[in-house]
Amino acid sequence: MRHGKISIGPKLYIALCFVFFYLPIAVTMFFSFNSSKSLTHFTGFSAQWYEKLIHDQNILAAVYVSISIAIFATIASTVLGTITAIGLSKSRRLLKEALLNINNVPIMNPDIVTAISLMILFTSAGLQRGYVTMLLAHIAFCTPFVITSVYPKVRSMDQNLADVAMDLGATPFQALTKVVVPLLRPGIFAGMLLAFTMSLDDFVVSYFVTGNGVANISILVYNMTKRINPTINALSTLLILAVVIVMVGMYIWPSVREKLRKKTRAGGRTLRRGRRGRKAFAAAGFCCMIAIAVIFASQFSAISGKQTLRVFNSGEYIDMDLVSQFEEEYNCEVVYETYDSNESMYTKLQSGSTYDILVPSDYMIERLISEEYLHQIEWNYIKNKDAIIPKLVEDNLYDPGSRYSVPYYWGNVGILYNKNIVDKKDLEAGWEVLRNTKYKGQVYMYDSERDSFMVALKALGYSMNTKDKGELQEAYEWLINQSETMDPVYVGDDVMDNMISGNKAMAVVYSGDAAYVINENEDMDYYVPEEGTNQWYDAMVITKYCRNTELAHQFINYFLNEDVAIQNTEYIGYDSAVKSVYEYFRDVEYKGNTGCAPASDNPRNEVFHQQEQKVKVYMSNLWTKVKSHQ
Amino acid sequence: MKHFKGLAYPYVAWSFALIVLPLLLIVLYAVTAGDNSLVTIHFTLDNFRKIGDPVYLNVFAKSLEIGLIVTGVCLLMAYPLAYIISWFSDEVQGILILTVTIPMWINTLLRTYAWISLLSDNGLISQFLTKLGLEAPTMMYTNFAVIIGLVCDLLPFMVIPIHTSLTKMDYSLVEAAKDLGANNFQTFRKIILKLSLPGIINGVTLVFLCSISSFVVPVLLGGRQYMLIGNLIENQFISIGDWNFGSAISVLLAIAILLMMSLMRRIDPEEKGEA
Repeated sequence: MRHGKISIGPKLYIALCFVFFYLPIAVTMFFSFNSSKSLTHFTGFSAQWYEKLIHDQNILAAVYVSISIAIFATIASTVLGTITAIGLSKSRRLLKEALLNINNVPIMNPDIVTAISLMILFTSAGLQRGYVTMLLAHIAFCTPFVITSVYPKVRSMDQNLADVAMDLGATPFQALTKVVVPLLRPGIFAGMLLAFTMSLDDFVVSYFVTGNGVANISILVYNMTKRINPTINALSTLLILAVVIVMVGMYIWPSVREKLRKKTRAGGRTLRRGRRGRKAFAAAGFCCMIAIAVIFASQFSAISGKQTLRVFNSGEYIDMDLVSQFEEEYNCEVVYETYDSNESMYTKLQSGSTYDILVPSDYMIERLISEEYLHQIEWNYIKNKDAIIPKLVEDNLYDPGSRYSVPYYWGNVGILYNKNIVDKKDLEAGWEVLRNTKYKGQVYMYDSERDSFMVALKALGYSMNTKDKGELQEAYEWLINQSETMDPVYVGDDVMDNMISGNKAMAVVYSGDAAYVINENEDMDYYVPEEGTNQWYDAMVITKYCRNTELAHQFINYFLNEDVAIQNTEYIGYDSAVKSVYEYFRDVEYKGNTGCAPASDNPRNEVFHQQEQKVKVYMSNLWTKVKSHQ
Repeated sequence: MKHFKGLAYPYVAWSFALIVLPLLLIVLYAVTAGDNSLVTIHFTLDNFRKIGDPVYLNVFAKSLEIGLIVTGVCLLMAYPLAYIISWFSDEVQGILILTVTIPMWINTLLRTYAWISLLSDNGLISQFLTKLGLEAPTMMYTNFAVIIGLVCDLLPFMVIPIHTSLTKMDYSLVEAAKDLGANNFQTFRKIILKLSLPGIINGVTLVFLCSISSFVVPVLLGGRQYMLIGNLIENQFISIGDWNFGSAISVLLAIAILLMMSLMRRIDPEEKGEA
């Protein structure tokens, strides 16, 4: 639209909008050079996160998955979409309309519906979820976009041209590739670009259909929210730079060529050179992509052929360096995947994913045992057996006799509080302090239905394993009342970052997380109410689907090794099951840290037991109500 | 061209296997009870009845509310932006539109993650406000944070279609209106706004669709208490493991969206012209 001089006001508006768009991106880039872990305080310049990035196998693997899937899915969906669009224009009306309508479904359907529909499909078909299922899903949701951008071009094309070509002796294939496809180029290119963007940015569909340790960048970032990791900022900065260079290059290239053509008047010659130039540009881009894919692929093929171990663990619950060390020492490959709760782990198992080693909590182990999902531990393979705190093996309530599980970490649940804000006397009220209106708006509750109900049940003096609907109802009312009077925020593992930054005064947390936070922020302290709490144990188990039980035992044994356990505990911050390590952290490394080795002898403490499905669904529904009450 | 008729057949098979069949499976899950085996299938409407519970109705209402607010904010921000951009010369327009699209190429999760450090209680914005001597409000885990995150994520989807329809517009109509004595406001309302309606409809549908079913941004910026339909579905599938109920919600969501889309199409003058 033609317009005279544009005044400062509108220009300012554009500038403001761009600030809004680019603020998060600028923050990401800026803090990727921070010398400390903080994402809110800049402490100095450093390139350490870039160095970490280059050595982080997980991130590199995710980049490889994201890019390779985007490339393959784009190629496949462009070919499939283009030939379909060409074929459709000649199909019978009924077929054409039906197919175009079906084709619209994935475009209009919310991502999440597409995602679960594909997940159910793959599960029902018994497909092993992983790279292939993710690729199939991406092709499935990209192709419709290609068809919708190519089809209008097919309709507006002169339909006789292909026939002319064939009359002149071209084969149908030649007519297609030499006449039809070049005419459709703008549409195909638009569709291709759309497909590539969609695939690269996808989270929802990938999240639901993946498995066996295959994660793209989105999934990786989603699983990383537990602890601040500036490596991801470094990755983002590199990706942003790559995108900007490619986009600007693509934008500037045609205009540069245009100018060149104008300058040298010999139009014909430069035109050819220009076309050759573009081809060269496209070829160079394609070669770069292939080269990247090959480089990454070679990294992975180097490890194939070795024996593998599939480990499924809670997020941030192992030091990955140690896993790499294990891989080297035992000349094997560990396929490592993480989950965010025992329940989501169980759902994954139900949907057909198989693993060799799991690291569930007490009540989940009980459930897996009762559903005959586990392989018995052959204790004579566990050479470091005697290093384990004897009590953990002998007085095992969730797995009597420790026949199926080897203790990993343990602890309890309590209140992490800010010493400068919370009055010590108020804490004497026990769990009730979480309903003390003096601290309104200052409370984080943990988004775990069983632990939250534990808090309420213990505050009311009931057992946390109750099946009594009346008691559960009372606990529900306690939580609803708390939600109304205290305005608590229900958080996941992001509670740790928030407490380290001192955002609120109190939080319900696991003791190990408390120890980690106290170590980073000395204003914090940990308190376990006298009314009793959830005494929990996480342990390693081997599934009955385990392909290599010898290696699985070696893996479990490896993490009981004293040096390994010390390094692992340094990373995790929880109480180790290895006696000497437990004592070392209690008496030396974390001395005075109340989150470390909290007293575990209160008779009112309990261990969670497996819930009947009916009680579980009942509690889940109540918890959904509590969370969405505000 | 008749030779190419067969080219559509592979996609017939493909779309049946990867679009139609999965949808039928969801519907099947939605109308059956949990303890199915291959031999006995219990058909039931309990899953749909359960949605009638006020808690779940609330979740639907909240999603609708957020969807409407985000769409409204996006429209109010994007229209002036697209309009102003269309004033510039073609070359500058190209650069400006490129600047709008670049963020779309950067992973949504990474951008949302950056908002956390901006909005959190001791985050950059609140540090900045404190320095100015103002009291910083709580932004993280509120409606505000979720709306900001979604708007930032979805704004390009609104700007681009509006800009496209503005540039496609025949400018002589505007001149004609002015020649006939319309003032600036009248010209804008009667000509420009009307002619850019297809773009607005496109943008509104896209943004509304994406915001109503999003689930990552609400989890990261709204906290776990922030239950929208997307989160509810994810919860049923991932944590609770009640696939039947989760499927029932999905079916309902899909139907609602499809109805809304066909309604939107009816308003769209371009579609009408074609029909």
